Amino acid sequence: MKITRAMELIATSRIARARVRVAEAQPYTAKMTDVIRNIAAAGGLSHPLLERRDVNTAGVFVVTSDRGLAGGYNSNVLRLAERALNAHRANNVPTRLYTVGAKAEGYFRYRGYTIEESFLGVTDTPSYGDARAVANVLLDDYEQARMDSVEVYTTRFVSALTQTPVLWPLLPIEPPEMTDEVVVAGYEFEPSPEEILGRLLPRYLEGTIFGILLEASASEHAARRRAMKAATENAEELTRALSREANAARQAEITTEISEIVGGAEALSSG
Amino acid sequence: MGKPFTVDVVTPESVIWTGEADFIAARTTEGEIGILADHEPTMGALTAGAVVINSTDGSTVTVGVNGGFLQVFHNQVTLLTDRAEITEGGKEDALRLAHEMGADEAV
Repeated sequence: MKITRAMELIATSRIARARVRVAEAQPYTAKMTDVIRNIAAAGGLSHPLLERRDVNTAGVFVVTSDRGLAGGYNSNVLRLAERALNAHRANNVPTRLYTVGAKAEGYFRYRGYTIEESFLGVTDTPSYGDARAVANVLLDDYEQARMDSVEVYTTRFVSALTQTPVLWPLLPIEPPEMTDEVVVAGYEFEPSPEEILGRLLPRYLEGTIFGILLEASASEHAARRRAMKAATENAEELTRALSREANAARQAEITTEISEIVGGAEALSSG
Repeated sequence: MGKPFTVDVVTPESVIWTGEADFIAARTTEGEIGILADHEPTMGALTAGAVVINSTDGSTVTVGVNGGFLQVFHNQVTLLTDRAEITEGGKEDALRLAHEMGADEAV
């Protein structure tokens, strides 16, 4: 009970930190999106990473945690991902599987899936370097046409109470929606817009993955806090019920002993 | 002192510097670029190196950046870089930092 309570408190402080990091990563992604919009306005977007191809092989990227004791956090997203893998198989589309977290690795290994690459030690406090490592692997396999799309299965942090498993397309990169403000443009580009776009898109993917990892981490801590809170409450309830039972049993024993003594004494005095 | 404009140095981890400046010197893949107020809208790819910001409070802020992007629009300058570090040690120190960041990545 002390352990679950401690884990609950640790998770609570981790959620706060993870949420701050999610918020701090926001401006970077927002600005990047802004730049891409401006390039689009200046001359359209054309880059292999933006082009939709026929999907001969589908990439599936699943984000879970390394540790359990987080309620349904892992099983929810794993179930969603496995359903997708089954759907691809039903359509005769081969898949390539990439995982973050020991939970996903264990789950899919046990079920006989081949995992192309498993990233461990990431989800507790994801770093930008982690995001870059993931992006590099995915980009390389995508650019070498070992797969033609990548979708990510992860958990969205809706609120401290609600975390939802979600599916997002990752590759090809979906160009951001255009807004009215960007049409003004008239930018000078150094170097050309195409070249800037070529440099920008891999960074954009890294930033996106970083955001996904941070949000998954916040979700994990929130799920763990809830699970540990429930465990603590269960344990308290159990302690109450058991001590009542123990008291009743002890009382019964004492009553029996007293009646035996009284009975014995009576037998002696009457004898 | 020239007319001021706003500057944000943004990395994925946080906004590491934000404030007003009257001059910025940076280096894009095409060469040195100096930015004063009312600079035309520009989008540039930065090389790893030093960005020098003349802040309107009189100080000079030197930032070592690991590449990245520069956007100038309506007196609003945004430096987007995956890694940046502010240094007190001037341009040489910023260059050294930038090289270190590059070396980290190669590992």
